[in-house]
Amino acid sequence: MMTNQSTAPVSVPLTEPVQREITRLSIETGLMLLQHGAESALVESVTRRLGLALGVRSVEVAIMANALTVTTLSENHCITTVRRNEDRGINMHIVTEVQRAMLAVAAGELDRAGYRARIEAIKPQRYPRWVVALMIGFSCACFARLAQMSLPATEDRSWDWYGLGLTFAASAAAMLARQWFAARHFNPLVNFFFSAFVATSIAGQGVIYKLGLHPKIAMASCVLLLVPGFPMINSISDMVKGYINTGLSRGMMAVLLGSATSAGIILAMTVWNVWGWL
Amino acid sequence: MNTLFQLLQNMMLASVPAVGFGLVFNVPRSALIYCAAGGAIGRGGRFLLITAGMPIELATFVAASVVSLLGVYIAQRLRAHPKVFTVAAMIPMIPGVPFFTALLAVVEIQRRGLTPELLNTAITSGLRAAFIVAALAVGLALPGLLFYRRKPVV
Repeated sequence: MMTNQSTAPVSVPLTEPVQREITRLSIETGLMLLQHGAESALVESVTRRLGLALGVRSVEVAIMANALTVTTLSENHCITTVRRNEDRGINMHIVTEVQRAMLAVAAGELDRAGYRARIEAIKPQRYPRWVVALMIGFSCACFARLAQMSLPATEDRSWDWYGLGLTFAASAAAMLARQWFAARHFNPLVNFFFSAFVATSIAGQGVIYKLGLHPKIAMASCVLLLVPGFPMINSISDMVKGYINTGLSRGMMAVLLGSATSAGIILAMTVWNVWGWL
Repeated sequence: MNTLFQLLQNMMLASVPAVGFGLVFNVPRSALIYCAAGGAIGRGGRFLLITAGMPIELATFVAASVVSLLGVYIAQRLRAHPKVFTVAAMIPMIPGVPFFTALLAVVEIQRRGLTPELLNTAITSGLRAAFIVAALAVGLALPGLLFYRRKPVV
C-alpha cells in the first residue's frame, strides 16, 4: 500500500536515519524536562512541538512515573523509543533553556544539528550552596515571623528576635545538611529524615532553654524548607490536566517525603525530650 | 497595627521565601524578581481577602489565579513557561505546618493510641493542607483551563 492516499500536509519524505534522529532528539528533550521537575502537560507539549517542527507527521508521548515513551510517525513509518527517567532534582533553569531551544526550532532558527548542539551545551546552573543556605535561613525566619503575626490576639505578637534567630540557624544548618546528603546521592527520603532531625534538634534547644517568647513557632518553622511544595503542586496540576498516573506518583512521593520528615522530627523530639508540635 | 502596615509586612515577609525557594528550584536569575513579586502579590492579596472575611481556601484560590494570570503576561515576554517562576511564588502560601501536623498526629495515634483530639487534629490539619494545595494548583492552572485551551501559553 503506497502513500498516495495520504492527507497529511505535503512535506519532504524523511529517510529512516533522519526520522530516528528526530525521535532521539524528541525523547531527550522530554526526558530533560521530566527529570528536572516540569509538569506532564509541559513535557508532552514541548516534545510534540519539537518533533513536528523538525518535520515528522505526528509525535505521541506516553509519560509514566519513571519512564518516558515517544513514537514518531512519518510516511507510515513509526519509530518508538523508551528512556528510563531518574529524578535529577528540580531545575527551572534547564526547563527554561530547553523550552527556548524548542522555540528557536519552531521559529526556523535552528536545524537538527543546531538543536542537538544547543541542548547538549546546557549546563545545570546551580546557585552557590552558602547563598542558598543563607536565603533558606532567612525564608524560614520570615515564615516564623508570619506565624508570630497570626497568633491569637491574647498572645504577644511583637517581634520575637530570639525565636527568629533560632529559626534562621536551625533551617540554614538543615539546608547545609540537605545539600551535603544530596551531593552524596543519598535517597531523598534518607536525606529529608536527617535534615529534619538537624533542624528540630537545633530549634528544640529554644524550648529547653526557654529562649524567646514562642520557641514552639521556631520548631514548626525551621522544618518548612522540607515541605515538598513543588511535587505537591505538580501532582494536582497533572491530575487536573488528565495525567492521573504521574499525578498520583508525584503526590505519593510528596507524602513519603513528608513522612520521612515527620519521622526525623519525632526522633529529634524523643532524643531531646521536647514536644513542641502536638 | 493597622491593616495597611500589616499588608506591607505580609508582602515583604512573603517575598523572601519566594526568592529563597526560587534558588532551591534553580529559577534563572532574570526570573527571580518575578518570584519575589508573585510571592508578595499572592500572599498580600490573600491577606486582604481573609481580612475581608473570605475563607482561606477560596482566598488562596483567588490569589493564586491572580498571580497566574499576571505570570502568563510575564512568561510571554520572558519566553519561559509561567510555572518556572509562579510555583516559587506560591511557596509562601503552601500549608507546611498543617501538612506536618497531620502526619505527626498520625504518628502519635500509632504511639499513644487513638484519642478524639489526635484524630481531630490529624483529619482537620490534613484536609486543610489538601484543600489549600488544591486551591493553589487549580489557581495556577486557571489560564490554561480558561483561555489557553488549545494553544500553548509560550
